[in-house]
Amino acid sequence: MVRSLQARLAATLRRVRLMLPLGMLAMAVLPVAGALAAETGVSGRVVGPDGKPVAAAIVFVQAAPSDADAERVRGDRSARIDGQSGRVAMDQVDKAFVPAVLPVVVGTEVRFPNHDQIHHHVYSFSRTKTFELPLYKGQDAQPVLFDKAGVVKIGCNIHDWMSAVILVLPNEHFAVTDSDGRFTLENLPAGKHTLAAWHERSRTKVDETLQAVSVGSAATAATGAGIHFTLSLAPARTRPAIRGSRNDT
Amino acid sequence: MAREPQHRPARTVGYGFRAARVACFLVTLVAWLSPALLGGAPAFAQAPPSTGGSFDNVDDQQGEDPYEVNQPRRVWLRGVLDARVVRGGEAPSWTDSGRGRTRYGSDVDGEGFERETKLVLAQLAIELGATLPWEVRAQAQVNVQPDLDDYRPWLVEAFVRKEWGVATSGRGLQAGLMGNPFSLEHVGPAWSPQYSISASALNSWLWEEISVAGLEGEWWREAGGLRFGMLAGAGFGPDQLGRLVAVRGWTMGDVLSGVGAEMPLPSGVRTQIFDERDDRPAAYALLTLGDARERAALRFGYFDNFGDENVAGVWNTRFGVVGASFHLHPRFELLVQYLDGEARVRDTTNDSSLRAWYALLSHHQGRHRVSVRYDSFRLQDVDGGSVTAEDGEGVTFAWFWQIGLRHQLGFEYVWLDVDRRSQPTLAPSQDGGQLSYRFRY
Repeated sequence: MVRSLQARLAATLRRVRLMLPLGMLAMAVLPVAGALAAETGVSGRVVGPDGKPVAAAIVFVQAAPSDADAERVRGDRSARIDGQSGRVAMDQVDKAFVPAVLPVVVGTEVRFPNHDQIHHHVYSFSRTKTFELPLYKGQDAQPVLFDKAGVVKIGCNIHDWMSAVILVLPNEHFAVTDSDGRFTLENLPAGKHTLAAWHERSRTKVDETLQAVSVGSAATAATGAGIHFTLSLAPARTRPAIRGSRNDT
Repeated sequence: MAREPQHRPARTVGYGFRAARVACFLVTLVAWLSPALLGGAPAFAQAPPSTGGSFDNVDDQQGEDPYEVNQPRRVWLRGVLDARVVRGGEAPSWTDSGRGRTRYGSDVDGEGFERETKLVLAQLAIELGATLPWEVRAQAQVNVQPDLDDYRPWLVEAFVRKEWGVATSGRGLQAGLMGNPFSLEHVGPAWSPQYSISASALNSWLWEEISVAGLEGEWWREAGGLRFGMLAGAGFGPDQLGRLVAVRGWTMGDVLSGVGAEMPLPSGVRTQIFDERDDRPAAYALLTLGDARERAALRFGYFDNFGDENVAGVWNTRFGVVGASFHLHPRFELLVQYLDGEARVRDTTNDSSLRAWYALLSHHQGRHRVSVRYDSFRLQDVDGGSVTAEDGEGVTFAWFWQIGLRHQLGFEYVWLDVDRRSQPTLAPSQDGGQLSYRFRY
């Protein structure tokens, strides 16, 4: 009996000796693998209270940019100033702003090219950014720097029905939901993040949508993969056709 | 039942007293609007367009949440205040039952033809709108034009509108009180002229004498790079249409008529603009053909009030108007319009043929706009006399400076020459200038 116990103990020790280097190897590899997995995506869905998908919602990381992010933003902004490629623009086409909702990162300069034959006078009185620009086709007006996070509502002083929204976000980590309400935030650095959801017609305040998520740990990988937001939206208003002869200028 | 024209004596209030009233009014208004003057978004930025429309507010009334988006309000209010320093022609203006053809002239109590410089409140316009269920939009505008009717408000428009479709294809239905759809110049805030302080003789008359309560339908479509539009309407009210231009002659100004409007005639009599007597609806139509990129557009309009001359005081007036607008260069606009018509009435010898045209060139640079316009107009007496016959032409120079979003300074000078056969040979100069400050709320 004692001999069988000794045999079992020896076998166990042999297994431990075999497994120990494997375990040590794992302990060395897993953090690296974890770090590699930390540059990963967080996906999820935005729906309404009735469960229907919300398209064109913006899910973003509500956190101040890290030094690396800030540097990257400044570098990208330089490219927008100095080069034609990568510039952010809100166009005026056929007496409408294109796009109607434009998400940008804080520190971005936005151009307002006018492709209409007629004059526009673009302005905003939002606290996030106040400005006004008389604009003509073919004229490159000075880009406008959006240096505070928040919503900037845009209008035209001449054509009252023209309106748009520029959503200035604190960092580059944002995504727009598709027609099925789905989004994926990619390349998030490892760590804890607070996600928020926004929609142009949302009655739900952004602060009420905040969700914490940890990126880069196996334990929380499952939660990171299926974030859900519920936004209550105001009814969509049809924009006026504004092509009546009486008012067409 | 036919009604007799109302007889009211010409006003004799001195201009000094008027200036004091204007000053008191302005002080009160500035105090009332001071929150808007000092800051905050203009109300027009919160409002749907003049056509009626629902869209997001563009204002600064965010709460603490920087991401908050205010949802559109269902009711909106806008206003335009226009104060001026004017130095008009040598004769008292037609607004004082004088012979002057611009809106402001000399002192009505003066000894002769002496120019006068004065401070006036030209216009206070209040616009109110609302979005009703089923995306029906309601809109109304009231104007106060003290030189014409003290501070009695005139209802310029009040209608409901429903649209179907989108910008490239759709239709609309509008019912209520409306002005004319023909003017190419009255496209500024509260239907004010956009290119100059005074509109052309042609468009001045259209906005002075046409006010219709009825129904209007509209259709538009873009195809093959072109934009087509059709508008047709019918309504009641313009049974006096033609009386003002035939009896008084052509003028150049920015008066907007409506319900409650009474315009002075040279004899001191005042004529009601909105005055339905024969229970026959007027009808009008407008065709638009344009380039989808808005480089050029043509408009063909027709109006007939189908007035029953057998009813006392009813004028039977019809006209056609053709217009073209060109935006061949982003900073330049060229407008041309031509009107031809006739106005007849049974009881007097004022039957007239009407003809007027103008060409306007406007240049926009930054916040400044400079416009030059040439006007030509004519009345022919067609019932055997020369009571209404006249010929005239004018040149207008105008400059506007848009200061921010709310404030506009404007200057205009009009050179005007009118020869009316029935008037004495002594012809006072009609030339005059205006300096305007406009505040938009």
